[in-house]
Amino acid sequence: MENDKDQTEELDEFEDEETTRDLVVPGEVLTEDTKNFLPGRGTILNKERDKIISLSIGLKQIKKNYINVIPLRGFYTPRPGDKAIALVVDKNPVKYKCDINAKDYAQLKPKNTVRKGRIRGGRGKDFEQERLSTDKFDIGDILVVKILSADRLNKPELTTIGKYLGKKSNGIVISIDPPKIPRVIGRSGSMIKMLKNLTNCNIFVTQNGRIWLKGEDLAHERLVIESIYKIASEAHIVGLTDRMQEFIIKEKEKRGIK
Amino acid sequence: MPLIIKDEYPEVLFREDGKRLDGREKNELRPIKMEVGVIKNADGSAYLEWGDNKIFAAVYGPREVHPHHLAKPDRGILRVFYRMATFSVFDRKRPAPGRREKEISMIISDCIEPILFLELYPGTSFEVFIEVINADGGTRCASTTVAALALADAGIPMKSLVSAVAVGKIDGKIVVDLSGIEDKAGEADLPCAITWYNKEISLLQFDGDMDLNEMSEFLDLAKDALGRIHQIQLEVLKSKFLTIQEKSDEIIVNKENQGES
Repeated sequence: MENDKDQTEELDEFEDEETTRDLVVPGEVLTEDTKNFLPGRGTILNKERDKIISLSIGLKQIKKNYINVIPLRGFYTPRPGDKAIALVVDKNPVKYKCDINAKDYAQLKPKNTVRKGRIRGGRGKDFEQERLSTDKFDIGDILVVKILSADRLNKPELTTIGKYLGKKSNGIVISIDPPKIPRVIGRSGSMIKMLKNLTNCNIFVTQNGRIWLKGEDLAHERLVIESIYKIASEAHIVGLTDRMQEFIIKEKEKRGIK
Repeated sequence: MPLIIKDEYPEVLFREDGKRLDGREKNELRPIKMEVGVIKNADGSAYLEWGDNKIFAAVYGPREVHPHHLAKPDRGILRVFYRMATFSVFDRKRPAPGRREKEISMIISDCIEPILFLELYPGTSFEVFIEVINADGGTRCASTTVAALALADAGIPMKSLVSAVAVGKIDGKIVVDLSGIEDKAGEADLPCAITWYNKEISLLQFDGDMDLNEMSEFLDLAKDALGRIHQIQLEVLKSKFLTIQEKSDEIIVNKENQGES
């Protein structure tokens, strides 16, 4: 699946040059120099405004004059434009209810599942019915979706119209901690390219921490799954791509797969 | 006929050599051991052994509120469920949550709330489940400490950690971190918690009999002990990731050595 281009646009935050290996925890003082630095993502000024403190457990990063903390643990917050793997948990004649690993269930309306005017004879009664009924998917289906709208207050809204989107009828879905997804993609997609090349698997990584994969046989798929879990557990260590490459080559020899 | 065992406490709570019954100095804490990420299905979890206290904490959230009428439209809510196992104390504890458990759940929730950004998650709840497996005095302080650790492990944005410890008076002397017997037989007991980002007291309860002039002495002692607990919390949180890092470093070093030889 050629979704590399989409994924390279994601934040290359982990592999940034100025990302230190400094592990910080909530409440830790990042700097007391508030004249030269500004609090960025995952940080806050204290009450006296003379210290920048970290909000979560993560890695300290200095970008220009901003100090950020890249979290190592956390939950997924949907943002418009994200791709996600959703599980249909409920449906009624008006909409589907989908689990996207966020705090709310997302909703998928039938008008967002059928492309307008693309069905043959896309006019008349039948077409309208298909556009407005929830017969297309069943409960338990795995869908690759894009998030149309999401905010703090309302339930996220999804769509399945678009490239690479729609129902997945085969393959395996695994899930990891959402903050570690950028690491699985790697800097400008290097990690994911390496995984695909070495194992000949189709891998689709989404922002909500779920990864869809399909390989030639079970042995390859197993290797990919183990590799991804390894990446997730060692996400905070530098030089991961090279080490993973070595690991996969070694494991392939050991297991006798090409 | 039910077996009735009378509560009998020792008359003196200090040994002849001036140490306490369990061999501690006045300002010495019981041995503390913490661990994070112990419960796989929880979003964040922690385990604490503090003397004979053994406590698990698990955090879930942000997630939908059940029952739904508790949800607040403008902010999230923090719910703490402090429970003691039936076998955690000498007499069997009735499993239904009683007055004491509800109170402790409430004070822990009120104690932790100021460090979270609940206004960013309207209509949701963060749930902290605290299960006391073994109790030996000071469980409310230990539970607060471990709950903060579990929240940090879950990756929930928070201003700082919270640490708690009890200070008390036994046989006329001020001591820190009361054990079960000291708590029951002593004169006074003052659990207190601190939020580290502004160093404010977040929990202060009092039970017993003491002079008001002693209060500052109590708090000085508590401050010192809280600092030590905070250090352990920070180390534990970091150690989870640092151990993985060390392991991989070892592998790299080994490879380099092999290459040389």
